[in-house]
Amino acid sequence: MRDKLVAILERIVVVAIILVLVQSFLEDLSQLLDWSWPTRRAILIGAFAFDLFFTIEFLSRFYFAFIAGRAGRYIFKERGWIDFVASIPLLLFSSGPLMIAIATGGAPLIGVGRVLNLLKVIKAIRIARILRLMRVLKIFQYIKHADSTMAQRHVSRITTLAVSIFVFVVFAASMVDVFVDLPGLDSDFRDGALGVAHFVDEEDLAAQDNRESLVRFAEHDSAILLVRDGAQTRYSRYSDEFYREYFGPADYTYVTSDDVGVFVDLRPLNRAQARESLLYFLLIVATIAGFLFIYGPHFAVTVSDPIHVMERGMNEHGYNLQARIPKKLAGDEVFRLASAYNHYFLPMKDRSEAGESAMSDLKMDDLSDFLDDREHKDSE
Amino acid sequence: MSTEEQKATAFVGRLLDNPAIARYTPLQKEEQIIQFLNANSGQLAPTLQSNQFFPERSWTQILSILLNALMSRIDEELQKYLDQVFDRILNWDFVSFSSQNSAGVDACRDEVRTIVGELLERPDARRAFTGSFAAVYFGSARRYLDHIYSRRSYIHFELTKVQRLRMGKDQVQGLVDVSLLLKPVVHLLTTPGENPGAQGSGLIQPQYAENVVSHVRKKAPNLPEQALASAVHANMSFLDYGFVEATSRLASIFSARARNYAPGMKVDRGADSPDKSWLSIARRNYKFYGFDVKMLDELYSIAAENMW
Repeated sequence: MRDKLVAILERIVVVAIILVLVQSFLEDLSQLLDWSWPTRRAILIGAFAFDLFFTIEFLSRFYFAFIAGRAGRYIFKERGWIDFVASIPLLLFSSGPLMIAIATGGAPLIGVGRVLNLLKVIKAIRIARILRLMRVLKIFQYIKHADSTMAQRHVSRITTLAVSIFVFVVFAASMVDVFVDLPGLDSDFRDGALGVAHFVDEEDLAAQDNRESLVRFAEHDSAILLVRDGAQTRYSRYSDEFYREYFGPADYTYVTSDDVGVFVDLRPLNRAQARESLLYFLLIVATIAGFLFIYGPHFAVTVSDPIHVMERGMNEHGYNLQARIPKKLAGDEVFRLASAYNHYFLPMKDRSEAGESAMSDLKMDDLSDFLDDREHKDSE
Repeated sequence: MSTEEQKATAFVGRLLDNPAIARYTPLQKEEQIIQFLNANSGQLAPTLQSNQFFPERSWTQILSILLNALMSRIDEELQKYLDQVFDRILNWDFVSFSSQNSAGVDACRDEVRTIVGELLERPDARRAFTGSFAAVYFGSARRYLDHIYSRRSYIHFELTKVQRLRMGKDQVQGLVDVSLLLKPVVHLLTTPGENPGAQGSGLIQPQYAENVVSHVRKKAPNLPEQALASAVHANMSFLDYGFVEATSRLASIFSARARNYAPGMKVDRGADSPDKSWLSIARRNYKFYGFDVKMLDELYSIAAENMW
């Protein structure tokens, strides 16, 4: 009963992993293609739900491993670290803050001095999303892609290594970018936003000229969405319907000074990030596909298959198939061994078994129901 | 039929119906089951000695009962196969080529069938007959002779120039097939359990071969001399006796190959094909079995080309 429940839960996890990969892809695609806010909100709520699910999954697995005294084994040997990386940090630093923003209904109201901090926080949230890509590895561990346990383990390990290195290097480089000012789209955007912020902060917006200058400035800076002076809107790039339809809390920020407030468009940054994320996602999927469909078969042909044939030949009476040796790879250690197996072991085995019958293809299990049936009839 | 015989028949029937051995000839199935019984005697004995099966019988007695039931079932099944081989598969035209007696074909066929029937009554000959029969039934000679005749290489030269067979490919195939069927006649002069040849390889000496030829000649006066000699010499080493005919050498190889041959055998990924593997090993062991290594080379090349 317990095994059945565990099997059902494992299946649910597999389904969830597949769905979360689709969700991750859609999340970036929706950002890149400027899908409507209600649609994107549904996708973001989905992200939060999945992060919560995987966090609960990780904590459950860790708890049961802990009480069984094998927490270390779970984390380091059974890929528990992937479960961790792809759950708690995402809930805390990515989907969690976004959910709070969605729940509170808007972007945080900030002063000019906090613009830099805000951008860093937003960037950190975006960087944390890179860790979602580790979930591809979670599904990978459920795929039985080779008959050989050795091939399965080798391909699995090299894939994990490649994807992990990729994700962590991107993650680390992005984190460095948070603390060190490097030229790029982020810095250009920040400079633009800061320019508006400083203007708002330093100029006397009570003066009519300055207010008009701000509006003219806003017209030429595509990052500025709206300039509000008290209850009056001085400038708006789009209509209110457009804002309602296409803007969510993470798509803009609001800089204020006295009665004047400026709404800044964060979507270009988000789109650039989504484009990068999609590229990373596709790179990782392509890397895994390459290992699965190119390296896996190559490993089988050059390592595990000949070893499997030799192992059968050494263990099974009457099994006399030679290991196939590709001409180009004849110098490999495995094929040198296969050559010795073909040329010395098999002929010797054949001589030693000369005159004997081959091993039977029949198995005792084939008779079990017959013997049980007889026993049952007689007992009746 | 006694209760014990009924139980034995049911037990053996169950084994024979197993899909794992469905692709084999009846004699190969018999060998498979005997091997199974011997390999699993430790587990089978306590069960079969229980009240439900053969109480108060020793394992040796039970084995004897089971083997009798098995041979009886196999003999029944084998008749259909033998009819097929003698009436449809075998090409008897070589008899007309070898003797001028036109009535000899039917007589020859009947004589060979009688000898085969006699061989099947002897357990040792029965075992030796397994490979030969499988080779004929599965058409080993036909498969390879097509390529041998299109290549016109070493084996073709040995058949047509050295053995001087003035007959077509189909007749040569018939001659090789009959050589295969009669190869186990060397067991006709032995007592049960006695081996007519060397341990392992089963190779016989020329003097013994002559005795066999004389013995069989009396039983099959219509069988061409060439066919009888070819069949008996198929048990001799070509390395020691260079006069062994090309058809004998082929029969010797095909018989050994077909003993464990299973059509449509699943080949593991990373393994060579069954015939190619077998012939490669035979090339290494040709001295042990007395095979003609040049023939093995050519057959290996054919098997490799055709992925057999």
